[in-house]
Amino acid sequence: MAEVIIIPMDLWEEDEEGVITAWLVDNNTPVKVDQLVAEVMVEKIQYEINSTCDGVISILSKEDDIVSKGSIIAEVS
Amino acid sequence: MTATKKLTIARAMAESLAQEMRVDPNVFVMGEDIAQLGGVFGNTRGLLDEFGSDRIRDTPISETAFIGAGVGAAMDGMRPVVELMFVDFFGVCFDAIYNMMAKNIYFSGGNSNVPMVIMASTGGGYSDGGQHSQCLYGTFAHLPGMKVVAPSNAYDAKGLMTAAIRDNSPVIYLFHKGLQGMGWLGTEPAAINQVPEDNYVLEIGKAKTVAEGNDITIVSIGIGVHHALKAAQELKQHDISAEVIDLRSLVPLDREHIIASVKKTGRLLVVDEDYHSFGVSGEIIASVVEHDHLMLKTPPQRITFPDIPIPFSRPMEQWALPSTEKIVDACLMMKEK
Repeated sequence: MAEVIIIPMDLWEEDEEGVITAWLVDNNTPVKVDQLVAEVMVEKIQYEINSTCDGVISILSKEDDIVSKGSIIAEVS
Repeated sequence: MTATKKLTIARAMAESLAQEMRVDPNVFVMGEDIAQLGGVFGNTRGLLDEFGSDRIRDTPISETAFIGAGVGAAMDGMRPVVELMFVDFFGVCFDAIYNMMAKNIYFSGGNSNVPMVIMASTGGGYSDGGQHSQCLYGTFAHLPGMKVVAPSNAYDAKGLMTAAIRDNSPVIYLFHKGLQGMGWLGTEPAAINQVPEDNYVLEIGKAKTVAEGNDITIVSIGIGVHHALKAAQELKQHDISAEVIDLRSLVPLDREHIIASVKKTGRLLVVDEDYHSFGVSGEIIASVVEHDHLMLKTPPQRITFPDIPIPFSRPMEQWALPSTEKIVDACLMMKEK
């Protein structure tokens, strides 16, 4: 059963969109819970996205993609 | 084999700084917004929490004062790493850089080292105007007394930073905003690569062949390396095999590496985001020609920033910047000759 990596609803205050500036893991590689996997930038501030569980990551949103709070950006299974 | 992880250049720089600060109490960092904010370009993120405000020091907006303070600290036995937020701000502090930092080893007859690093952001492409978008590689490389490095990816960024901090001579460390992984110019995924977790040194002054080829040598540095690598891929469709050299350092310049490649390919194209005239591109071409012009099948060419202030207007700036398309066109033209 796959878990998803989602942009937390409280990661930043306002409702602006963000952009994925970096994936720090390769697609289809093992990740660990709480491991830093991506960076998202909102208004020139960068936020860190961590994995929610152990498993193999399947990346759904590419670098430079626009994302919002609540966006699903990867699956871990 | 040591463990590796994927890092942006910004994170690789911060990791090198942290690892050197853990083993050498003389290393410290100062500059504008480098402490609490973690640097406008992200390369000092997390350092204030670990090392505190004595070693991670926010400075007032006076480059003249804090670059001068860095030179004094370096001559007094410290190893300062000082951030000049935009290389374009060099004008107000160039006496400290060039008449003190670069020359004091010489002036002291070698009795005093100046183990100082200045890290500065370079490059344009995001409409920030002519006073925030320059590279100025040639300006620093022209003046004796300073080593000059400019990484194109996270692996090189970490190794070059460690080498710069440990060097007893002053080093200018120029990082391109478009490669930081901070989204300033979008993301260049090829700049985000696997980096060993342990610290390591990348020798300053060594170029690297990042794509092998037989028909033309493309020499570049920083973001130009990524344009060149994309061009080399496209050129395969035209049956042109391009070799791409990432200089990584401008001073010392790895002339032997460039010459060996041009000897093989017979063609030389230099890609440099710095201004066209009196700079890096001319120096590289001159170094090859004065070694042996007979190995060239066609006149050497260069793709550079034209000799104009960098436009604020997006269409005008994009027109002026080096690009993959310009490299492809130049290589096709050179191959036909």
